[in-house]
Amino acid sequence: MPRYRVMYAKEGPARYISHLDLIRAFERAARRAGLPLAFTQGFNPHPKLSFAAPLAVGTAGEAEFADLELSGNISAGVVAKSLSGVMPEGLRVIEIRLVPDSAPALMATVDLAGYTARAVLAMSLDKEMVEKAIAEFLARPEILVERRSKSGEKRIFDIKPGIITMSAQINDDIIVLDAELKTGSSGNIRFEELLGAFSENFCIPLRGNFVLCRRALYTAGRNRQDMLW
Amino acid sequence: MNLLQQILPLVKKPARYAGGEWNVVHKDWENTEIKVAFAFPDVYEVGMSHLGLQILYNIVNSRPDALMERAFAPWPDMADKMRENSLPLFALESQRPVRDFDIVAFTLQYEMSFSNILYMLDLAGIPLLSGQRDAEVPLIIAGGPCAFNPEPMADFIDIFVIGEGEEVVNELLDVVSAGRRKMLARKEILLNAAMVPGIYVPSLYQVFYREDGTFLKIRPLRENVPEKVTKRVVKDFDRAPFPIKPVVPNTEAVHDRMMIEVLRGCTRGCRFCQAGIIYRPVREKKPETVLRQTAELVNNTGYDEISLTSLSTSDYSPVLEVIRAIADKHAQQGINVSLPSLRADHFSVGLAKEVQRVRRSSLTFAPEAGTQRLRDVINKGVTENDLMEAAGAAFKEGWQAVKLYFMIGLPTENDEDLDGIAQLAKDVLALGRKNGVPRGRLKVTVSVSSFVPKAHTVFQWEPQAPVEYLKRKQDELSKKIRDRGLTLNYHNADLSLIEAAFARGDRRLGAVLINAYQLGCRFDAWSEYFKNKLWLEAFRQAGLEPGWYACRSYKYDDPLPWDHIDPGVSKQYLVLEHKRAMAGILTGDCRTGSCTGCGVCPALEIEPFYAGSEQ
Ligand code: SF4
Repeated sequence: MPRYRVMYAKEGPARYISHLDLIRAFERAARRAGLPLAFTQGFNPHPKLSFAAPLAVGTAGEAEFADLELSGNISAGVVAKSLSGVMPEGLRVIEIRLVPDSAPALMATVDLAGYTARAVLAMSLDKEMVEKAIAEFLARPEILVERRSKSGEKRIFDIKPGIITMSAQINDDIIVLDAELKTGSSGNIRFEELLGAFSENFCIPLRGNFVLCRRALYTAGRNRQDMLW
Repeated sequence: MNLLQQILPLVKKPARYAGGEWNVVHKDWENTEIKVAFAFPDVYEVGMSHLGLQILYNIVNSRPDALMERAFAPWPDMADKMRENSLPLFALESQRPVRDFDIVAFTLQYEMSFSNILYMLDLAGIPLLSGQRDAEVPLIIAGGPCAFNPEPMADFIDIFVIGEGEEVVNELLDVVSAGRRKMLARKEILLNAAMVPGIYVPSLYQVFYREDGTFLKIRPLRENVPEKVTKRVVKDFDRAPFPIKPVVPNTEAVHDRMMIEVLRGCTRGCRFCQAGIIYRPVREKKPETVLRQTAELVNNTGYDEISLTSLSTSDYSPVLEVIRAIADKHAQQGINVSLPSLRADHFSVGLAKEVQRVRRSSLTFAPEAGTQRLRDVINKGVTENDLMEAAGAAFKEGWQAVKLYFMIGLPTENDEDLDGIAQLAKDVLALGRKNGVPRGRLKVTVSVSSFVPKAHTVFQWEPQAPVEYLKRKQDELSKKIRDRGLTLNYHNADLSLIEAAFARGDRRLGAVLINAYQLGCRFDAWSEYFKNKLWLEAFRQAGLEPGWYACRSYKYDDPLPWDHIDPGVSKQYLVLEHKRAMAGILTGDCRTGSCTGCGVCPALEIEPFYAGSEQ
């Protein structure tokens, strides 16, 4: 059965759709589009739909990836066109390509994610100061955060090896923090964890809160700019 | 970066507040004359499961001169964030404050949601009391089943809509828009609204009490205001506007599926049931209409399940044909049919079998009472035989779990009736074992609620059993219903008392509601939020007692606080039915062809409509 890789954005009101609900949203959109989703066999069949990496509720995604399988051969262009017209506000199909059966699963491919956090500064802040704070932060031998397992147990985890880059920009009263973090099965750092750990030592005076966005997902390997195609 | 964007990541289930769902309607605010906010006094997931919302959303948004947006009760974590940030209650579509609308329309689905109406008004920055609102504030209207005894909410609601809203909502919008154009004062618009059949404007009526505190009468304050308000009913239900493009939630609703209403009304005549009176007479949708609307719903929503809704879907004359036709047409698209509320009989199990080809969840039957004697009193035309046959068929067909619904505290109840509940539960369990359901899998759940006398029912004159009695009987039942495979649930008796007080309450309860809200009551339909102590304190502060309302009995000729609301069914008929109940005489369903004389058809110049099964 043909497998299609969907690159899409998850913005506006759609940024609040949880991972579980996102699966349903795609399933319903496909049904509205009249696309024949392929289903798993068994007692409780569910659509063959998989995502590269779950996105935290509230974080926007500019270039997210999902694979879906259809039970009939339809050109990728037609799938893209019919799906585009039936997505809820903020879920936007960017591109769809047919991928070969042999292509590894998205989840096994994704290795890095690029994030941006934006906020309004409550008072003016010197860019060098922030840069110095970031340099000191990244120079620490370890950066410890507290995580909770599914059963609710707390444990301490070092996120430092998963931080690839981190930088800051300031334009007037807007501060923008960028980071590239390990994502996927070979290690997974949440952007909120990084922001939390950073602001523990360096307090950024904000009006309101950070608004978060995942800009891109990357594969492992030499070419870091390689998207998940 | 707007405020909402910064708050939403900090609250639970932010999709509740984000809007942007499929089929949402965005209209041009500036160029639309009348703006209505539909306000559902519970969380998003509950409100979005309510078909009435989708019906009205479709009707109002179909008008070129009007728009409707939605607002729900924010969960307490969100309310805290809104207050911290001075963000008033807003509608999801435009994110505009609810107080900027011309009309805010609440639905009164259950008494325990009343506190949430005060909560939402307060969050919206709208004065709680009708009398304190000026021209700048939206008109607050309310409809739904609890509007049939509107008095406890009379202080807070400007306009009540009694009965089915499909037609009257348009008439009301016309009155408001005409009033706007003529620059009429709020009071004049209210007066004009009161002339519309089915509209009750409580501020135009005065209530009189006797010296002993009992209710005496309610009278209009002006000559041309009607003494009685008769419910509205849609005559041609088949052609009534139906939402074929419902809003599809982005987060899982309680009923997360397509809903198609196949019939309205139920004339089985259970004597405790309010819906059975206020939605009379029975009107069925033609099968071809159901199939056409189903096909459109499938295309427009993308859901994989369709529920045939009504008060009693196994009564829908062409139910079997319709289910089969839907399966024929839509099964290859992966669409399942689901049926709510099944009758405890063999036919219903057959229906369930027809629709639940894959899933084997549990089947629910509602015998309501434990003995034949008491089932005759309440006119539940189900025999022990019916129930056993149905349960047996269910087990044979592969179901392993059965739910049984009962009520305690019913009029004339005695110990035998309670023993009967335990016995039935055990018998059903034994039947499951006999039919070879594996012991570990076999599950019989007994759900016991407490009788709440409701306005306009045959039992409206009957007292609720005292809380202590209900609790004692719950204890006794839990001692008797104890076996591997048996589970007993019962409702909070304290909550049933408050519910009963409001169900038969009068206008003085407005003060109790204000007290309760100020003491912190909200989300009272959610057991984790219901705080009995606060409610008792709220009554005490108002100098009233919940038991005085809930546990009292009325005489037939006692004036009742809801006598000015007319459901079309005559009081005489209710009296007759009450007498038959006490004598244990059953009354048949008029769908079999012989009118039992409830009076609704002649009073409202309407007839029952059955779709027939000839198709
Ligand atoms: S008036 Fe007669 S036919 Fe009409 S609903 Fe009542 S009992 Fe049935």
